[in-house]
Amino acid sequence: MPILAAQNIVKRYGSVTALEGADFEIYPGEVVALIGDNGAGKSTLVKILSGAVRPDSGTITMRGEPVSFHGPRDARAKGIETVYQDLALAPDLDVASNLYLGREIKQPGLLGFLDFYNQRAMREQADRHLKDLKVNLRSIRQTVDTLSGGQRQSVAVARAVLWSKEIVIMDEPTAALGVAQSGMVLELVKRVREAGTAVVFISHNMPHVWEVADRMVVLRRGRRAGTLNPATATMDQAVSLMTGALPATEGEAISTQ
Amino acid sequence: MANSSGAITPGAGLTAPGLEPVSRTPREWILARIDLLLRLGLVLIIVVEAIFFTLRTIPSGSLTDIGSSTFISGSNLQNVGRQMAVNGVLAVGETFVIITAGIDLSVGSLVALAGMIAAVSLANGWGIFPVVALVMGLSLLVGIINGLLVGVARIPPFIATLGMLGVLRGACYLINPQSVSLSTPDGLNFNNWVIDSVHGLPTIFLALLIIALIGGVFLRFTRRGRYIYALGSNPESARRVGINVLATLLTVYVISALLAGIGGLLLTGRLGGANPTNAVGYELDAIAPVVLGGGSLFGARGSIFGTMLGVVLVNVLSNGLDLINADPHVQQIVEGGLLIAIVWVDQWRKGRATNG
Repeated sequence: MPILAAQNIVKRYGSVTALEGADFEIYPGEVVALIGDNGAGKSTLVKILSGAVRPDSGTITMRGEPVSFHGPRDARAKGIETVYQDLALAPDLDVASNLYLGREIKQPGLLGFLDFYNQRAMREQADRHLKDLKVNLRSIRQTVDTLSGGQRQSVAVARAVLWSKEIVIMDEPTAALGVAQSGMVLELVKRVREAGTAVVFISHNMPHVWEVADRMVVLRRGRRAGTLNPATATMDQAVSLMTGALPATEGEAISTQ
Repeated sequence: MANSSGAITPGAGLTAPGLEPVSRTPREWILARIDLLLRLGLVLIIVVEAIFFTLRTIPSGSLTDIGSSTFISGSNLQNVGRQMAVNGVLAVGETFVIITAGIDLSVGSLVALAGMIAAVSLANGWGIFPVVALVMGLSLLVGIINGLLVGVARIPPFIATLGMLGVLRGACYLINPQSVSLSTPDGLNFNNWVIDSVHGLPTIFLALLIIALIGGVFLRFTRRGRYIYALGSNPESARRVGINVLATLLTVYVISALLAGIGGLLLTGRLGGANPTNAVGYELDAIAPVVLGGGSLFGARGSIFGTMLGVVLVNVLSNGLDLINADPHVQQIVEGGLLIAIVWVDQWRKGRATNG
């Protein structure tokens, strides 16, 4: 049973139809890449899955149970974390503070009642969490603005994984990174999957998609044009599906389910 | 892990520490320790100031009489403590606002209005507790309005609080265009309490210490304090992790306004009355120590401890220059120059941090 599924999602912005009956599902512990040309509806679908946007119609289910998100907080409460393209880290705060931002560990007893946070516990747990994910930083006390792009992205991913063991949505996590830095993030995505977390991976970069994805969902004009298996499909097939050169119902490696 | 793509070196950045340049150029070394260095620099300036004024205010001019130096006399140090109290209380409030990348220009006018309302209501026979409640209630209201203007109406803090500066100053003149002195029994009691001292420490200096301590602990050790930094660092990130941005903005503007209200009470108590022309420019006097103490007008930087160092520096300077009969305008020039130098460092730091 899919851990998260969307069926027949429609979303219109005025006269523009962003999604026109789109379907999507992701199973526990897999990396599903969401690919498509600009305007295909990727970012709208992602916003709907992460609770930032409400669909006009269609159903979203988690493990078969219908859910409806009234905001990102609802989605987070159900175990869906999103890593945004612009990371949304606080650059002046240190790594541990960022990992726990908004969800600080309180001090026990009266101090906790007075809203005091437990810095030592947060630093220890943040350190262990990053080591588990093999994210190497000079220090957990470094402020985020002293990190490289890949390290920042890694911290953003680590934060999402810290708060959701179930589903992490990553919106173009390698878009702004160089080769080595992208490699760092892609390895992290694989480790996240190994830890059992499902990842929705949005990217324009086909080699990156091929490197990490178990399945690829191709969107075109607000619908799913097909699902590809990176082990058997070629990039040409993916591009053909994305551009419509290959009709959605054809092609061996394609299943429209 | 499969090395499936030639274009990518799997794991390289994560496991090989050599990939991340361990930056150790002198400039980066300075940048990493800039807050500490600035603070040490402040302490050094304060020490140099204190030594300079101590030496310059020996009545006989002879180093052997250094014990009789006016600057380090008990009464002068008490005086410095009293002078810095109102300025310090306002600077604590301003620290909160500046960390959110905001600014509160209305505090000087609020000091005047709070003091005027306190003096007038005391003169009308009110007791001290209703007066304090009235002034705090008014300050709370001003803080909420400032917070709503910035957080809901999205007016830039500089403009919103500049408008409030004008509104409050005008209200102050409307209530009473002349000066009022504290003459009722309650008023005189209040006056005496404020100018009194406990074991040699002026009451209002103690009030500043308590306020600074509470403010510093709140900012440094509580979650809501942390959220103030988070908001100043990246409002979008704060919002997305579920921090209540409006509540945080309301908190800082209310703190600033309540402290301005307390500042108004203390000033009226110290002066034994109120005047609608009081406290003009106090907002700038409150902002300077925050920035001197490591606060950044870009937000997310600053601490109460640093601010208090800035308060000591500025007030020792102005006291010392008074003692050596320096032209008051020299004082303005020195303080203005110092402020520009510090903001320059702030700009440099910000530029480095974002480019490098």
